[in-house]
Amino acid sequence: MSEYKLLAPVTARRRGRRGVSPALRGERSVVRGIGVGLLWLVVAISIAALVWMVAQAFRDTRAILDDPWGVPASLDFGNFVRAWTVGDFAVATWNSLLTTVVSSVLTVAIAAPCAYYLSRVDNKLTRSLSLYFILGLGIPAQVILIPLFVMLNKVYLTDSIIGLNLVYIGVSMPFTVFLLTAFFRSLPLEMEEAAALDGTTAFGTFWRITLPLAKGGILTAFILQVISHWNETLLALTLLQSTEKYTLPVALISFVQQQTYSGADWGGLFAGLVMVVLPMLVIYVWLGRRLTEGLTLGMGK
Amino acid sequence: MSVGLKEPRAGKAALQNPDSRKPVTRKASAQGRQPGSSIDVQRKKLLVPFVGPAFVLYTVLFIVPALGAVWISLHKWAGSGPMKFVGLDNYGRIFRDPLFLSSFGNTLLLLFVVGAAIFILAFAMTLVLRDMAGKKVVRNVIFFPHLINALVFGVLAGFIFNPGGMVNSLLAPLGVTDPPKWLAQDNIFPLIMVTLVCTTTGYFTTILMAGVDRIPPYYYEDCALAGATAFQRLRYVILPLTWDVFGTCAVLWTISSVKIFEIVWVFGGSSGAGVPPTQSWTAAVYTYVNAFSGQSTPAYGAATASAVLSLALISVLVVLLRRAMRRDAVEF
Repeated sequence: MSEYKLLAPVTARRRGRRGVSPALRGERSVVRGIGVGLLWLVVAISIAALVWMVAQAFRDTRAILDDPWGVPASLDFGNFVRAWTVGDFAVATWNSLLTTVVSSVLTVAIAAPCAYYLSRVDNKLTRSLSLYFILGLGIPAQVILIPLFVMLNKVYLTDSIIGLNLVYIGVSMPFTVFLLTAFFRSLPLEMEEAAALDGTTAFGTFWRITLPLAKGGILTAFILQVISHWNETLLALTLLQSTEKYTLPVALISFVQQQTYSGADWGGLFAGLVMVVLPMLVIYVWLGRRLTEGLTLGMGK
Repeated sequence: MSVGLKEPRAGKAALQNPDSRKPVTRKASAQGRQPGSSIDVQRKKLLVPFVGPAFVLYTVLFIVPALGAVWISLHKWAGSGPMKFVGLDNYGRIFRDPLFLSSFGNTLLLLFVVGAAIFILAFAMTLVLRDMAGKKVVRNVIFFPHLINALVFGVLAGFIFNPGGMVNSLLAPLGVTDPPKWLAQDNIFPLIMVTLVCTTTGYFTTILMAGVDRIPPYYYEDCALAGATAFQRLRYVILPLTWDVFGTCAVLWTISSVKIFEIVWVFGGSSGAGVPPTQSWTAAVYTYVNAFSGQSTPAYGAATASAVLSLALISVLVVLLRRAMRRDAVEF
């Protein structure tokens, strides 16, 4: 089919007598030039917006409102201090950090063996199990919101960091299992077979051969979980009620809502935004390539 | 577990010659020490310790609540007290509720209108990016908004569009003395749509680019030799070879657009009374407000009914998309 279609341009050549460049380089057109220009403009605006946001976090509210385009006169951490102390961001940052790290580590630790099994044993049961896990990818969080709240309320796990961690682990299972299964499948079997020949047990081959080989994929899965748990808002907003349990996004929402009564504290707000965004920026700069690869690879199929 | 003897790896020879299948497997099991099958047999025993924890957590914390949602949606329930079975009444009720209809309509707008805009832009960007200098830099920058909580964009929009804010100060020198009221209740949702297009396009561009980059360069060389125009190259090479990636993106957007909540919740700092104006609600917001806003008696039945309908919307669209996008996969 593709071959037939590829032939079509040949007939086009007879008609079009314009110079056919044998090489691919050197094709220039006005539209393309505009496109390239626009893209660079987008890049410039994105970076400028990020820099601008960070810069505003160091200015006080009055200065920000007077001249939103200004740059900070000095490095003033007042906004951060105020957000940290008044806005409950200190506790919230700690809660977010704890929840993100604990739930991401556990998610990967629980999903990895499962993905390994599903990728290595191929029978009816594992095929239907894989399908069962994939099912969860299509269920939006608002569906499970209310039943989850009711269930956790019965066992006193609402308004609790432990409960939130459990929920994050459960909700992350489909994606992580899916991603890691694809990753384990891509690993060569030969080393495992050789180890098995040498008398390593099945668990041993997983623990001592496959896991070290899969370090990259597991790290990718872990980082992807860190990002999604750090940013998760709807479940946290529903399950947490008391201020000292808030995670960062929930604290930010409550900070925004307080301002409608107490007047806008844009300085503090910008400081809060920076606290939400900066860790992601650090991770992205540090492990960016791995991330884009993991996300796009995991999406294949 | 008995099917285990037909393990494909143990029976590699068997696959080539179907008649010899039985003897081979019998010999293997008789010897019992053949490494391939012994490790496979051992591995199978790991089912419970390996798959068990993930299965239990996922079932209890995801599948059971999902089924529970269907169950609750058939009841009239205020969260505490007795549940009253009302059948499909909740669904009938929300369909007569203008608030739900507008919320669901907004979700559909996000799904189709914003989706279409994102796809057209992302594809155009991919085509430009394909062979431009510095494409890695551009790609890395436009991907980053995907990692930022949508709350951030919602809050920033409040600052940028506020009456004395940046947009108006930019417009003033251009002679716009009477700028539109950006954050009026009716204008918020269109603004949300624009914001979402701006912040999401980069992510889908990255995915599409991963597909386009897979196309081997000799196809383009062939095009150049054959004198194909840019449009012909797009029509006969790039589109057919990235069709499956488009399908994946469409499914991804379907799933993620129905979940959109955070950005609506804080957009423009609009949540004066803790709840955004009803004109900008999505189905997810409708669910949350009806159950947890604390403004009226929680209506868990109607709230879950709305959520279950969103799930139904996703399922139908994903099935349709998979069917529509199913083409002969082009091998290359």
